[in-house]
This record gives sequence, C-alpha cells and structure tokens, in this order.
Amino acid sequence: MSRRYDSRTTIFSPEGRLYQVEYAMEAIGNAGSAIGILAKDGVVLVGEKKVTSKLLQTSSSMEKMYKIDDHVACAVAGIMSDANILINTARVQAQRYTFMYQEPMPVEQLVQSLCDTKQGYTQFGGLRPFGVSFLFAGWDKNHGFQLYMSDPSGNYGGWKAAAVGANNQAAQSILKQDYKDDATREEVVQLAIKVLSKTMDSTSLTAEKLELAEVYLTPSGSVKYHVHSPDSLTKLLVKHGVTQPAAETS
Amino acid sequence: EKEEVRLDFPPSHRRRLYLVLSLPSTFPDFSSVRKSSKLYSENPKFPMSIFEYNGSAVVAMVGKNCFAIASDRRLGVQLQTIATDFQRISKIHDRVFIGLSGLATDVQTLYQRLVFRHKLYQLREERDMKPETFASLVSAILYEKRFGPYLCQPVIAGLGDDNKPFICTMDSIGAKELAKDFVVSGTASESLYGACEAMYKPDMEAEELFETISQALLSSVDRDCLSGWGGHVYIVTPTEIKERILKGRMD
Repeated sequence: MSRRYDSRTTIFSPEGRLYQVEYAMEAIGNAGSAIGILAKDGVVLVGEKKVTSKLLQTSSSMEKMYKIDDHVACAVAGIMSDANILINTARVQAQRYTFMYQEPMPVEQLVQSLCDTKQGYTQFGGLRPFGVSFLFAGWDKNHGFQLYMSDPSGNYGGWKAAAVGANNQAAQSILKQDYKDDATREEVVQLAIKVLSKTMDSTSLTAEKLELAEVYLTPSGSVKYHVHSPDSLTKLLVKHGVTQPAAETS
Repeated sequence: EKEEVRLDFPPSHRRRLYLVLSLPSTFPDFSSVRKSSKLYSENPKFPMSIFEYNGSAVVAMVGKNCFAIASDRRLGVQLQTIATDFQRISKIHDRVFIGLSGLATDVQTLYQRLVFRHKLYQLREERDMKPETFASLVSAILYEKRFGPYLCQPVIAGLGDDNKPFICTMDSIGAKELAKDFVVSGTASESLYGACEAMYKPDMEAEELFETISQALLSSVDRDCLSGWGGHVYIVTPTEIKERILKGRMD
C-alpha cells in the first residue's frame, strides 16, 4: 500500500485504487449502523443511534432518518455534517424535478443525481469525498417500492436488503440467510430489529438507541413516510422478544 | 368536497360595449371583422394592458375564525373565452391558500415556484408555513423579478396558529397590503371593492361568509366582460375546507 497516493482524491494508486474514497468508507465503518429491507407493501429502514447522552435535547428531529420528498426517505451512516449537505442537495434536486415536470422524481433518478454529485468529489476539484453512505427508500409509479444503497465513491445499487455502517458485513450475511421475498411490512420490521440486535455492540436494545421508519402506501394511494415514536418502538421491541417488558412497580 | 350552487340574481346589467364604440362607421366586407375586433386595443385611448389579457377576479374575506377565498373561472385571450374551469386558487397547505390573478402563464408558474419553496421549507423545518411567513415569501419572490416581473397579483389567505384568519394582497412586484376585512384583485377589482364594501360585515360565520363572498363575486364579475363563467369558492375553518362551484351568468 503506497502512502504516496493517499493525499489526493484525484490520483489513482498503482493498484488502481482511490485511497481517499476507501478511507471515507473506513470512516463510515465506525458510524452507527443502518439497515434497509424491502417488503411486499413497503420499505423499512432502521438505524442505530450512536449519540445517546442523557444531556441530549430530545426533539422531534432525527439523527439517522430523513425525508427527501413526499415519496422518498433515506437512512444515513457516516459523518453527519456531510450527510446534511447531501440531504439538502437531494431535497433541492427532487423539488427542481417536480417544478420542471410537475410530477414526483423517480427514485432511481434521484439516487443517480445525488451519486453524480458524490462522484464529482472523487474526480475533480481536489476536495475530499463525502464520508456518508445512504440507504434510500421510496416509491414511484413505474417501479413501485425500491431500496438503494450508495457510498462515497458515487456507486449505487438497488437492493432487496442492505446494511451500512458498523458491522455491516455481519448484518448483510444474516440478511442473506433470513431475507424472504414478498414478506409483509410487519415481518420485515421483525427481521430488521432482529438483525440490528444481533449486530449492535450494546447488549440490550432500547427504544432510545433505535430509529425505525417505514415507507408505504395509504389506502387512498398516497405515499406515507412514518417514523415510529419511542413508545411504539418499545412496544415493538417487547413484542419481538428483544427486550424484557418494564417491571411493574407496586 | 365540491358542491354546485346556483344563486338567484336580479336581471343582468348592460355590458360595457367597448367593441361597438371602436368599430368603423363603414363596414366594407367581413374579412375586416377579425381586424376590427382588435381595434379596441389599437385605439390609443384604450391601450391593451397585459394584466387584462386573460381576465380574472379574486377576492378573499375574513370571518369568525374562518376565511373565504373565491375566484372566477374564465380563461380568455382578450375577447375570446378559451376555458371555463381555470383554477386560480391553489392550496399551499391545509391552512394557507393563494389566489393569483393576472396573466395565466405567470399564475401557473408562480404557483409552481411557491410549491417548490414551501416543500423545501416543510422538509427543513418539519412544519407548515404560517400565512404571514408565506406572504413574505411571495413578496420576496416577486421583488426578485423587479425589472421583469411576474404579471400577477396574488391574494393570500390563511389561518394562523391560534385560528386567527389572515388575508393580504400585493401588487406584481411584491408590495404587501394587509387588511382586516377583505382583499380583491383582478380585472373586476373595482367592482369587487364596491361590492365587498357594501356587503361585508365583521365576524361572519362560515355559511354567512359563503353567501356574502359569493354574491360579491358574482355581482362584480357580471360588470366585467373579461371575468365570469361561474365562481370557485373555498371556505376554510379550523376543522374543514369546503370547496364550492358557483353557477352564475355563464358569459
């Protein structure tokens, strides 16, 4: 491994690698994990919150899940400040498409457009790549529910189930074994929680350490992005046997 | 939900007959009819105003913890009527509506730009825009084009956080005018001012407000040849939005 080729993003190493991009992926490997799984009637995103200090102001704003447009949401793993920039870019791109064509932006086009931005930072300008990986979950009328994973290199792929962040290899292997096509959203939520509990460092999973969001169609046909409240999360964790119910105090 | 309502009206008034005033006294052949129909605008005493190209009438009124916003439905190209279902009032979110009068293409494009800005605001702030904030946004967007403006006059109506109704209008370059009772805009604005002034009273409930704004709108557009062909009225209370179509003089 030649250290001489580290410092510039815009240089290939003799082995044909872009070190800065790989180092960016290393940074993500230390961040809180996020898992996305496709169901028959929706997409489920679950994320592990790394910042869980008692002093943190618990507002409604999220750490890992973000809405990009009415029909697309994403989960984030990596450097939060980089993620904020990219999420803002994605939001503006989605609105620009809607302004131009008067219809929601197809999910793959949104992902591709954001990845084109990310790729720019690996080829020219001399700026470092973004240290963020995304899991995009969305619905459009051409391809239904979709899940995409993108990384700092600007590569993206459509997945049935994907994991990013810490222990993503372990999570992917569990998902490969346990994923079933055409599962319902409830089964998928159960699978996601199970996988996260197995790969997370902490011994017991509580609602404060998780964020769970679902993208699905309402009966009236519009796309809904729903983030579970801490109470609903606690109930789900108890239901799937991940945590013990709170002891009754007399 | 939509409802079609027919209001009883006194017999109609004489129309303004600008076209007849400007026709030449000798009328050689019919091929000059098309040419002569433009004579109104070629007459230096009545130059064409781009604001009067499509024809429009928009009015908003304040009631007791509710507001009403209404518009006509005609889309014309000067004297010719092209559509009788043109939408001038659009919803920004459940508690803010904007009605745009003036050039139809700018009405549509300005609305699309405002949806763009409001969607981004909603995503970043995780809440809907207050009506006062939205009015400031519209004013800023209009002033950006100070030297090549959008040729429309917006009427903004909304319910604030405490369910207090808010209305305002502005000119095409963003001069805001707040009002406590009613605001008007469009080619029928002069008639609308008179009708609203006469018919309005403060603290009306939703049903009475609907009657008042509908009568004011229909009687005013009947005095204006460029607006009419029915009306579109939205009555918004904290609990529901009622949309109604009015059947008036269909001309």
